Amino acid sequence: MGPYDSSISAPAGSSSTSSSACSSSTKPRQPPDQMDHLLAGAGYKVRSNDLHQVAERLEHLETAMVKSSPVEISELGHDAVHYNPTDLASWVDSLLTELNTNPPAAVGVPTDLPDLHPFPADINMYSNNPPPLHGEFSQQVVTPLEEDVSIRLVHVLMTCAEAVQRGDLSLASLLIDDLQALLGRVNSVCGIGKVGSFFVDALSRRIVNSSQNGVVQDDLSAYENEMLYHHYYEACPYLKFAHFTANQAILEAFDGQDCVHVIDFNLMQGLQWPALIQALALRPGGPPLLRLTGIGPPSPDGRDSLREIGLKLAELARSVNVRFAFRGVAASRLEDVKPWMLQVSPKEAVAVNSIMQLHKLLGPGQPIDVVLDWIHDLNPKIVMVVEQESNHNQSVFLDRFTEALYYYSTMFDSLDACTAQPVKSLAELYIQREICNVVCCEGSARVERHELLATWRDRLTNAGFAPLHLGSNAFKQARMLLTLFSAEGYSVEENEGCLTLGWHSRPLIAASAWQAVPEPSATMGQINHP
Amino acid sequence: MFSMAGSNEINANEAKKVVPLHTWILISNFKLAYNMLRRPDGTFNRELAEFLDRKVVANTVPVDGVYSFDVVDRATSLLNRIYRCAPPENESTRQLGAGIIELEKPLSTTEIVPVIIFFHGGSFTHSSANSAIYDTFCRRLTGLIQGVVVSVNYRRSPEHRYPCAYEDGWEALKWVHSRSWLLSGKDSKVHVYLAGDSSGGNIAHHVAHRAASSGLEVLGNILLHPLFGGEERTESEKKLDGKYFVKLQDRDWYWRAFLPEGEDRDHPACNIFGPRGSNLAGVNFPKSLVVVAGLDLVQDWQLAYVEGLQKAGQDVKLLFLKKATIGFYFLPNNEHFYTLMEEMKNFVSPSPSPSPVCS
Repeated sequence: MGPYDSSISAPAGSSSTSSSACSSSTKPRQPPDQMDHLLAGAGYKVRSNDLHQVAERLEHLETAMVKSSPVEISELGHDAVHYNPTDLASWVDSLLTELNTNPPAAVGVPTDLPDLHPFPADINMYSNNPPPLHGEFSQQVVTPLEEDVSIRLVHVLMTCAEAVQRGDLSLASLLIDDLQALLGRVNSVCGIGKVGSFFVDALSRRIVNSSQNGVVQDDLSAYENEMLYHHYYEACPYLKFAHFTANQAILEAFDGQDCVHVIDFNLMQGLQWPALIQALALRPGGPPLLRLTGIGPPSPDGRDSLREIGLKLAELARSVNVRFAFRGVAASRLEDVKPWMLQVSPKEAVAVNSIMQLHKLLGPGQPIDVVLDWIHDLNPKIVMVVEQESNHNQSVFLDRFTEALYYYSTMFDSLDACTAQPVKSLAELYIQREICNVVCCEGSARVERHELLATWRDRLTNAGFAPLHLGSNAFKQARMLLTLFSAEGYSVEENEGCLTLGWHSRPLIAASAWQAVPEPSATMGQINHP
Repeated sequence: MFSMAGSNEINANEAKKVVPLHTWILISNFKLAYNMLRRPDGTFNRELAEFLDRKVVANTVPVDGVYSFDVVDRATSLLNRIYRCAPPENESTRQLGAGIIELEKPLSTTEIVPVIIFFHGGSFTHSSANSAIYDTFCRRLTGLIQGVVVSVNYRRSPEHRYPCAYEDGWEALKWVHSRSWLLSGKDSKVHVYLAGDSSGGNIAHHVAHRAASSGLEVLGNILLHPLFGGEERTESEKKLDGKYFVKLQDRDWYWRAFLPEGEDRDHPACNIFGPRGSNLAGVNFPKSLVVVAGLDLVQDWQLAYVEGLQKAGQDVKLLFLKKATIGFYFLPNNEHFYTLMEEMKNFVSPSPSPSPVCS
């Protein structure tokens, strides 16, 4: 097998047909369990029926800890990997296992022992509405504005966006003039002044070109795209965090596997892969055979940029003695990719890697469903999903606009604080293109349809995937990565088995890992067979 | 070992008798998690602590009539989370942008609206303003007082020892006082109260003291089982050691982590009215509400604090909740919680006199 295979091109504009080979059976949905709402307000999800058993387990854990030395206990904090602390019952059980104590009977089995010391009754003098699930509310302000001119700027931006939504383009145009004047007075080097100018620009494009149908964003050349991407990669930690966290999870998922196949939904310059190749080279027992399939846009002017990246990665792999094969799949849109192009072999362990790509499939026709189906059918060991943590897919323009304004203000603030790269204009341009797409475009042209982690969780669960939790080890290493940046203010947070990276208290990027749940229908078929 | 296990059973049952199930689960969970985080050599497993801490985002969409937003104080890079009551008539048609615009206007030009600066607890080491337990508590407090709560972060030990937390608290007070959008009343000023639980209560005291010396106004202090201590072992410490979630040796660990290295617990940060303590007689110290949980082993120090304030001629009210354990206010499932809420509400209620006092 050669170090790489020739690229395969998907025919441009091919549409996904409903008669595809992928089956789309309805996946079973878990019935919602009654979660205790008092503990939910403290950030824990415990089923109301399990409270007594959780209490019992905590007692067992305490007894086990009492029997251990203080050194052993703090080692429990080091060596054990913790997962999803929100699921209190599982967390306590995992610690009991670590301390080699036999946990009591599994949850759901009622204990016959009477409660010798019953707890006092919970008083509930007030009707307590269940507290909100904190994924539901996303609008936040991290840097609210106190300078009069900044406040005025946001106020006029909103009024203008509202006029655009109503179709009152003449008013909107007048407001653009106001906005230009305000931009002249506000500090345009940082804060709302800088991101504000991008939003004013986006709004005016939308007004000038076509209001209801949105604009079509000019395509950049492949070179320009790569330049912006590369500067964004360097200027702030978001992409690095995505790559780093994904590689960590993929490495773990590939444990014990001899043939592995990574499918990268957006190869770009392949910046993610040298680290994985090196990690696989160093893994105990030796590296597996690694296949990498990189998806990317077709290159014009006869270049085969996918293959060029593949060659570079092959060279690196060769230098560290990792058997490596590369295939490039050129497609203008992710939905144009068909599973047969990926040439997945049943013997290999598959990892699907999607860094800021899946949201592009949420446009008209919802190609996401078909794509998730065929991903599922590849039976991947892991599907890594990293997405922008915001709801930019709202159908009401004003809501989308407002959410984007807050999101990108925060992102720009975080960029400001990074001193690694003093000139950030190209990184900012990368972000500007996203802003423009969210604000100006509609229909199939609008690809930046970001949605929240909570929504992705639902979507992926419904498509037959179960979460693979990212644990305290991934968390710790992500935090170490951040210390390389002089900017204090970046925060990694754990969110029910997923990790987010954000600026202060506002998550901006969410990383989650998934595996395919086997289809129940296959078993059914066997039962029915005579 | 055998006897320790036996006595531990008794201890678990003691606590179970006096707290509701949910509270027992919550506080026990913290207790056991924290055991893993404190290392015998005095260092702290900060990574695991941050991983385990359940955090929540702020929300500008009101919940139970209260919304919140975060501000980073550029001077300190510390987070302040502001909680405000949503005006009821606008609640259903709330413009997302309204939260930002309202920062132009004062809270009121006619009525006095109390602003409570809340310092979260955690023995100077744990938790943050955006920890779920504190977010929930502050949200409730805001609705209760129909005012504003500003929950602030401060640098924590052992990475940052005394006096960092007090410096940060002081900066927070100055920040709050300088916000035009927190002004209220005909006298157009920020009507500030300081509050805190555990280490937060300790911080509130020290910030109030500094405020009094500097002429910055604090209208009142609310101290929820504040963290004080001393070298001497008091009766309550001996009697309640290990009985209700807290061991004396844990308290000692946190003081060693917070106080300057080589210092002991008679340090004035810790032992307010002790041998190295200050004399508050004649100081323009705010009125205080000190809440003591009757099953908290630190209570003798808290009672000594109350006595010290009284001897110095300061206005102090003691709320002694005999059967309460630490953390009783995290869940609204016990009578102590409601008693506390009522007391706090009355404490920050604007004076019933018709004309507000102009300074």
